[in-house]
Amino acid sequence: MNDSRHVTIVMVEDDEGHARLIERNIRRAGIMNDIRHFTDGGSALAYLHNDESGPALNGPALVLLDLNLPDMSGTEILSDIKSNEKLRRTPVVVLTTTDDKVEIQRCYDLGCNVYITKPVNYESFADAIRQLGLFLSVIQVPEAEA
Amino acid sequence: MAKLSDRTANVLVLGAVVSGFLLLMGIGLAGVVVMQRNLTFTSRVAHTYKVQDAISDYRVLNERMETARRGYLLSSDPGFVRVFEETASALPPALQRIGDLTRDNPTQQARVRAAEVLMREQIAVARRSVTHGRSAAANFAQDAAVRDTRNIRALTGEMSKDEAAKLVKRDRQRLSSIGQLIGLIVAAALVTIGIAIGSLWIIWRYTRDLARSRDELSRLNEHLEEEVADRTAELSRANEEIQRFAYIVSHDLRSPLVNVMGFTSELEAAAKPLTELVEKVEAEAPQLLAPDAKLAVTSDLPESLRFIRASTQKMDRLINAILRLSREGRRVLAPERIDLSALLQGVVGSVKHRADELGAAIEIAPDLPFVVSDRLALEQIFSNLIENALKYLKPGRAGLIELRAQRRGERVIVEVVDNGRGVDPKDHSRIFDLFRRSGAQDQPGEGIGLAHVRTLGYRLGATVTVDSALDEGATFRVSLPASLSIEAAAA
Repeated sequence: MNDSRHVTIVMVEDDEGHARLIERNIRRAGIMNDIRHFTDGGSALAYLHNDESGPALNGPALVLLDLNLPDMSGTEILSDIKSNEKLRRTPVVVLTTTDDKVEIQRCYDLGCNVYITKPVNYESFADAIRQLGLFLSVIQVPEAEA
Repeated sequence: MAKLSDRTANVLVLGAVVSGFLLLMGIGLAGVVVMQRNLTFTSRVAHTYKVQDAISDYRVLNERMETARRGYLLSSDPGFVRVFEETASALPPALQRIGDLTRDNPTQQARVRAAEVLMREQIAVARRSVTHGRSAAANFAQDAAVRDTRNIRALTGEMSKDEAAKLVKRDRQRLSSIGQLIGLIVAAALVTIGIAIGSLWIIWRYTRDLARSRDELSRLNEHLEEEVADRTAELSRANEEIQRFAYIVSHDLRSPLVNVMGFTSELEAAAKPLTELVEKVEAEAPQLLAPDAKLAVTSDLPESLRFIRASTQKMDRLINAILRLSREGRRVLAPERIDLSALLQGVVGSVKHRADELGAAIEIAPDLPFVVSDRLALEQIFSNLIENALKYLKPGRAGLIELRAQRRGERVIVEVVDNGRGVDPKDHSRIFDLFRRSGAQDQPGEGIGLAHVRTLGYRLGATVTVDSALDEGATFRVSLPASLSIEAAAA
């Protein structure tokens, strides 16, 4: 079954505050999907690759990725996902504070699906997340290849 | 040997040349004087020769007359009479000539007069003896003419001797004056040689010092280039580091700011139902509502939130400014040939609306030069300066902003001159610092514009300075390299 409600949202975000704000806004947008939150790159990758409910082994997922992580760069996770045969179709939304053109380009080159800059202006931020929520409600996420 | 300073060397060489020429001129003058004296001596010698000549002519005539008389008396040959008459008539003019020639010599004049007396007697006696024939012949011993002749001979002999002595003396004088001339010429030659050697020595020494300092300089120069290259590398490394630092810091600062702003908004959102609740309670059961609680919800809470919001917004602007500066520092410059007139017209066009609102005039001077530089950076620099000029006009005075530029050697100086409120001289360096402003803080802004201008300027190899006093307008001066090289742009 390809119901978007079963899509797990994997949020890789080291800042608890950001994570909470993102979650609240996603919920306000009416998106009730499971959200798995990881505060570092290592455990996120472990989940993506090895967890039974993770996208590599089971169920479709969507990754919300912050680029500034304590243990590794978000771009490393991005390239890891996009170079992995089982994960590469998983949509990745980069959601970060960096608005550097070079960085944005690099992310798209690595296969990032959407790049969103976290604005300090909260209204725009909330808007962006709600748009993302709408986006989540309509996108088709591929099934994991068993 | 002590090194000669440029000035000393110049003075010495000039002094040597001038004194040499003066000496040569003096020697030349002395030569002329000596030559003139020599000429005088020579003419005097010639004169003496002439006198001697006249004396000897006279003496010959004197002897000849006597001989003719004796010849006649001995042979009665009338031919002798003719000779006698000839010589007798020639004698007075001959003596007269001696008298004329020795007019300046009293001794000789006296002798001439004595000789004249003797000559007259001699001629008279001799003629008588010739006319009267041989009667007188026997008595030569007592003959007055013979005696006169003898006396005249003696007298003219003395005269001749005198002249000879004079000749010797004058000749010696002439010789000595020639000697003086030769001495003078030799002295002149020596002096000239001396000056030449001296000047050559000074010039040689100076040239050697010059060559030595040139070698030293080129050695230092080579070293300097290495040093400059090292320092430049170090500086650009440090600069890169600072920029990276600024970039990272501003990003990392942004992250917590997103939270502050986000949760502030959440609080505001949460405050809304709370306010509604308080209003409801107040309306329905005012006894339940504590005045503190009411105050907190209706006044303290919104006020606090407002301050938090304003501060975080400001912080966001500051962080963005730092980000922009650090990004500007990393942008690759693209030097191109730019017509300053066109560029400034473009900038002025973009602020025209605001200038019209303020009733300010912006004038661009005609015939501005071309520069080779980065267009975007120049546009940002001048738009910042012109916006500043518009921002800080003096209230009550019609704004006038003049844009001028001129080329000075390898640089182009662009001036943005306004008649606004000016900048206190004590703030002249401060206004270029990031987040620093001057004067009354009655205009919006974070104190970023001029810092940005200066940073951009440095990248273009330009300096930005201000010339201003309070209430007297300000002149911002941008000194640009006329041509920004690619290497400089890459640094």
